[in-house]
Order: sequence, then C-alpha cells, then structure tokens
Amino acid sequence: MKKVAQWSTEEVSQWLTEEGMPEYSESFQHLNGQDLLKLTKADFQSPPLSLVTSDGGRQLLDKIETLRIEHHIEAHKNGHANGHAIVAADGDGGGKAKRNGVLNGFRKDAVQIPIPEPERSPYPVEWGKTAIAFLYAVCCFVFTTVMISVVHERVPSMETDPPLPDKFFDIFDRVEWAFSICEINGMLLVALWLLQWTLLKYKSIVGRRFFFIVGTLYLYRCITMYITTLPVPGRHFKCAPKLFGDWEAQMRRVLKMIAGGGLSITGSHHMCGDYLYSGHTVMLTLTYLFIKEYSPKRFWCYHWFCWILSAVGIVCILLAHDHYTVDVVVAYYITTRLFWWYHTMANQQALKETSQSNFFSRVWWYRFFQYFEQNVQGIVPRNYELPFSWRPPRWSQTKYTRIDT
Amino acid sequence: MASPELLVERDSADTRLDMRVEEGHGELPNGAPCAGHGAAGEDGGKRSHRKCIRKPRDYIKISVPDGRSSQLPLEWWKTGIAFVYAVFNLVLTTVMITVVHERVPDKEENPPLPDKFFDYIDRVKWAFSVTEINGMVLVGIWFVQWLFLRYKAIVGRRYFFLMGTLYLYRCITMYITTLPVPGMHMTCAPKLYGDSQAKVHRILQLISGGGLSITGSHLMCGDFLYSGHTVMLTLTYLFIKEYSPRSFWWYHLMCWLLSAVGVVCILVAHEHYSVDVVVAYFITSRLFWWYHTMANVQTLRGCPNNYLTNTWWNPVFNFFERNVQTQVPCVFCWPITWPPACFKNSCKKYSMVQSIREE
Repeated sequence: MKKVAQWSTEEVSQWLTEEGMPEYSESFQHLNGQDLLKLTKADFQSPPLSLVTSDGGRQLLDKIETLRIEHHIEAHKNGHANGHAIVAADGDGGGKAKRNGVLNGFRKDAVQIPIPEPERSPYPVEWGKTAIAFLYAVCCFVFTTVMISVVHERVPSMETDPPLPDKFFDIFDRVEWAFSICEINGMLLVALWLLQWTLLKYKSIVGRRFFFIVGTLYLYRCITMYITTLPVPGRHFKCAPKLFGDWEAQMRRVLKMIAGGGLSITGSHHMCGDYLYSGHTVMLTLTYLFIKEYSPKRFWCYHWFCWILSAVGIVCILLAHDHYTVDVVVAYYITTRLFWWYHTMANQQALKETSQSNFFSRVWWYRFFQYFEQNVQGIVPRNYELPFSWRPPRWSQTKYTRIDT
Repeated sequence: MASPELLVERDSADTRLDMRVEEGHGELPNGAPCAGHGAAGEDGGKRSHRKCIRKPRDYIKISVPDGRSSQLPLEWWKTGIAFVYAVFNLVLTTVMITVVHERVPDKEENPPLPDKFFDYIDRVKWAFSVTEINGMVLVGIWFVQWLFLRYKAIVGRRYFFLMGTLYLYRCITMYITTLPVPGMHMTCAPKLYGDSQAKVHRILQLISGGGLSITGSHLMCGDFLYSGHTVMLTLTYLFIKEYSPRSFWWYHLMCWLLSAVGVVCILVAHEHYSVDVVVAYFITSRLFWWYHTMANVQTLRGCPNNYLTNTWWNPVFNFFERNVQTQVPCVFCWPITWPPACFKNSCKKYSMVQSIREE
C-alpha cells in the first residue's frame, strides 16, 4: 500500500468511501495524501469543513491518525530515514501536530498483544486417573464374583424350580458346543481389543473409559443378580453343591473364578444364579463397540469381522441355553446405552456442565465422569503409535521465543 | 426566502440521499430530534437534516431472532400421530399380556423366585391399592397441568411417544421370558387354551379398566418384567417436574412422594419382583433424559459425533422434534381460550427488547 503522503486525490476519495465517510469526499476533492495528513482539529471548526462534519471531524482525525501510525510502523521497518522524510516533508503547519501525534499518540494507542502461554495439550495423558478407573473395574469384578457365589446359595434347585418358559428355547433346541464358541469369540475379541489399545496414541484416556464403563456395567449386574434370583435356564446345568456358610470354601471358589476369568471354558465357572443380566453379552458387545469406535473408519473389513464374532457369540449363548433371552436383551440394551451416553457426553463440551437442559448430568456417575473427562477437550483422535517407542522430550514441544525478550 | 431555499435544497439532498440510504427512511424515527439542528444556520439546517438521515455505508444489520411462535410450532397432527402410536402400543401390550398369561407356569410347578425384598418385608395386603390410587392421582394431576400448558401439543407428543416406546419395550421383555408369579397370594384367571373370543373379551376388559387391579380388570398374570405401574408413576412424575415452574418445590416434593410411595408399595404388596421395578425405573428415567437432552441441546442436532442418534427411534424423534428449535418454555394459559389470552405466571421469562411478537 502506497504511503499516505503519496496518495493522489482519487485515492483519498476512495479511502474516504471505504472508511464510510463519503460526506467528506465532496469537500476533499482537491486534497491529496499530504493534505490529508495535514488536517487538524482547527480545520473542522470553520467552513467549509464545519458544515459537513457532525462530530468536529473527530472520527476522521482518528482514522487519519491510524493511517499515520500504520505508515510510521511501516516506515520504521523500511528504515528510519523514510520516516523522518515523511515528518520533514509535511513541514510547518501540520507538522508539529503530526509529530506529537506520532510520538505521543503511538504510545497512547499501543496495543498490548498478550502472548498466549504454551497450550496444554487438549488430550492430557493423566495415567493416575486411568489407574483409578482400573482399580474401580477390578473392584467391580471382584464384587461380582463374590455376589455370584452368594447368589449361588439361593438358586432354587432344578426340581423345585424348573426352567422358565422362554420363546427362544421353544423354537431352538440346545446345541452343546455353542457356549464354547461364545467364549472363544469373547476371548478373541478381548485380545483384539487389547492389541488395538496398545497401538493407540491416547491409551490412557481410552483405557480409562473402558475400565469405567466395564466397571459400572458389572456393578449394575451385581444389583440385578442379587435382588431377584432366576432359576437355571436348562436342565443340562451342573451347579456346584451349595456350601451353606462355609466361608473358606466360598473364598476359594471366588478366587478360582477370578483366576479363570469367569469363563466356563477354563473350568472356573460352576456356579449358577448369575442370569440377569448376561456378563458374556456385556463383554462381547462392549469390546466390539470399543474396537469400532477407536479404529479407522476405513477398516470396514475389520469392523465386520468383529461384528460377526460378537453377534455369533451372543446367538451362541442363547443356542446353548445358557441364559434366558431377556438376560441377553437387557444386557445389550444397557451396554449400548451406557456406551453411547458416555461418549456423547465426552465429545460435547456443552454436556460436561450441569445445566437445566443437560439431563445427562442427572446420572449418579456424573461426578466421576467429570473427574475423568474434564481435561479432555474434544473428540479423542484416532492416532496410533508403537507402544514402546522412545522420543527425546525436547523434540516434542516447539517453543516460540517472545518477540521482545 | 429561507423556506423555499430549504425546500429545494432538501429535495436535492433527499435525491442524493436516496442513492446512499439502503434501508429506507422507515427505520429512523421521523420525530427524533436532529442533533445540532438549532445551532446551525440555513445551510446548517440542510446539512443537519441530511446528517440525521445519513447512513454510513458500513452499517451493521442486527437480525432480530424470530418470534417464539415460529420456533415452537404446535403441529397438532404430530401429536395425533404420537397418540395413535401410544394407543397402539397399549393395545399391543394388552394383547401380549393375554398371550403370556397362557404360558405362565403354575404356582405349584414354579414357586415364586427368591427375592431379596420379599425376604425382608412381608406382604401387606392393601399396599397395591395405595399404588394404584397414587398412580391415578398422579396421572390426574399431570392431566390438569398439561391442560394449562401453553405448548400442549409439543409436550403431549413427547409424553405419548415415550409412553408408547416404554410399553413397546415392555411387550418384548414380557414375551421372551415368562417369570412365575411373585407370590402365592396372586389369583390368576384360568387359562383359555385357544378360546379366541374369550381372549378378546379379556383384552377389552383390561383396556376399559386401564390395566388396574383396583377396577377389577387385571386378573391376568405373567406381565412381570418389567413393571408397567412403575413406568407410569416414574414417567408422570418426571413430566410433572419438567414442565412446571422451578420454584414450586413443594409441588414437586408432593408428587415425588406420591411416586416413591407408589413404587415401594408395589414391592410391599409382593406384586412385582424387585428386578422388575429396578429395570422399569432405569429404562424410564434413561429414556426420558435421553429424549429431552436430544430435544433441548441444540448443538447436538446435526452433530456428527452424536451417538444419541444410534437408537432405533431416532428417525421418529427427528420427525417429531424437527421444527422445535428451542427448549419448551414453562408458560401456562387457560385451556379454553385462544392463545392470545395467555397470561404470564411466575415462570422466569425474559421478554424481548422489541414487542412481544408471540402474543
């Protein structure tokens, strides 16, 4: 942009129009850049300018001042001599006022640009919180195991309480090896998820979410298992004998179950009564949801494969007559709703604050959710990295030195 | 002398101004005194007049948001559809109860399942009447409150949709697995074994009695997972609380007490298993909150990472709530008179700076 001092009358007129002061263009028809810079307040107090101006020319003078400063800065950049040249060229009349304007006005109108502090990462690692979530999940697992062994004592015997009528069982007969398929699928899915998790960049955040959701689902399961005990779904069940208060033997059973991961295939699960709702369905559904959520969208083959594993596993639970249909349906419903609820809350900043329109904040675990997710800003991107690569710390942060230190 | 001169000049000024003024003179109040009119002379008069109406090129248009009426369209026909949906689901539930009744295992064959609540608290005979009375009172209160709401159509639509969906879920869970009766005290009507006419008769009887035992219409067993009474008590309370002024804490407390006592009495009467009540409460509250968050938080609409849209009823939700662009305000008015007569009550409401267009 040409220096103001060198503007022609047309450019002055154009500038006036651009700045929204067309009323002056008529009076300034003969003014060029230098004359513009020479204008003072006094000029606006006598005709002809006093007639066109409504504010004593204040607005126009301010804008001219701004122009001067811009060009003064530019001039300084290009070299001091040019600036001085401008000052000298304007000479006597407006020169004094202008010089004052330049020096004093420059300081008065100086704008302090605050340098932002180096930003915290929007996805802080915070392994401490992940550890807490892990502890919570472990507690819930142990609690579930204890609860299963307690409920086992109360399961009505097969003679007094035959299996309840179930629509799926009416249509499909039992297939013996189906439950092994379900458990193999479950183990595969968990292994795949674990592998995928180690490759994620934001392991701690995703891990925290997985542990929290799993823990909560098993906690709910404890409650529903305990309050009402359903009878065994099929006559093929071999339930371990009841212990009637033998605490030591019960503890041993609990430990054996935890060691076997609660799976029948490892021979650790001989206890009955844990029907409403199905823990196998929870694991199958939840690992599939997490796998799909935290892997690239274009891996549709992989997603389909995992979906088939999950669906076949769930159907096999029913085929094996190992759970009632309502157990599986309720487990699916609760798992999907909780997963979607949690992730929608985590992805929307608006839902992380309590407000009248945010009903999501009314769940009992909202405070825990806030504790886990308050520093996570935005949607966790699906970035991957090798788990054990080492990066020297100083390469990971770029620093910009301040201009004036 | 001065006047004809002024007139002429004013005309020319006006013609010149017309090219510049983009919005038209209507925006500026004609009666507003022009600044500096008295001070200037003749020419000053013309110039001052011009400066009043002059507009700088870079004016900013402040768009006034649409009046409330366009953000909350009533659309009674959608409410009608929701009502039909709810009625359909209620009828389906009734049919399902009749079907399931045939499959309920005998009391002797399948004794009541062990239930923790039943172990601690023995049965109280009149408790279930308390539940049903509370339910009827709550529904009555809600109906009266609904009549007085300004945006009846929108709220009614939501109520019918949620109730219909909850009863639909209930049909599914009732049908797939049949629980035995929770207590030996329950008298179940005899099974009909294929007598369709009698079954239809039972269905009509159940519908006409509203599904309540107190009216003597509900003699069938098997509809245990999950509890429809809990659904009605919880849902009605949630709606009452949501669509009434925040300051009516005593009213909310009273309704909460009615609801809670009703739910506890279901268990005390040994009419449902504990798991039925817990699951019913869970599903009702989650569905209510889910629906209302989707409806009220505008940033969720059209957001790509909104998992709330993964539900099967999302298209139906979009159909019902597409044109509702803001949270339904808590405004009441007389039910019979026409909308313009709506009075304002103690609800907090901020009127717009300009005239209140929705009145």
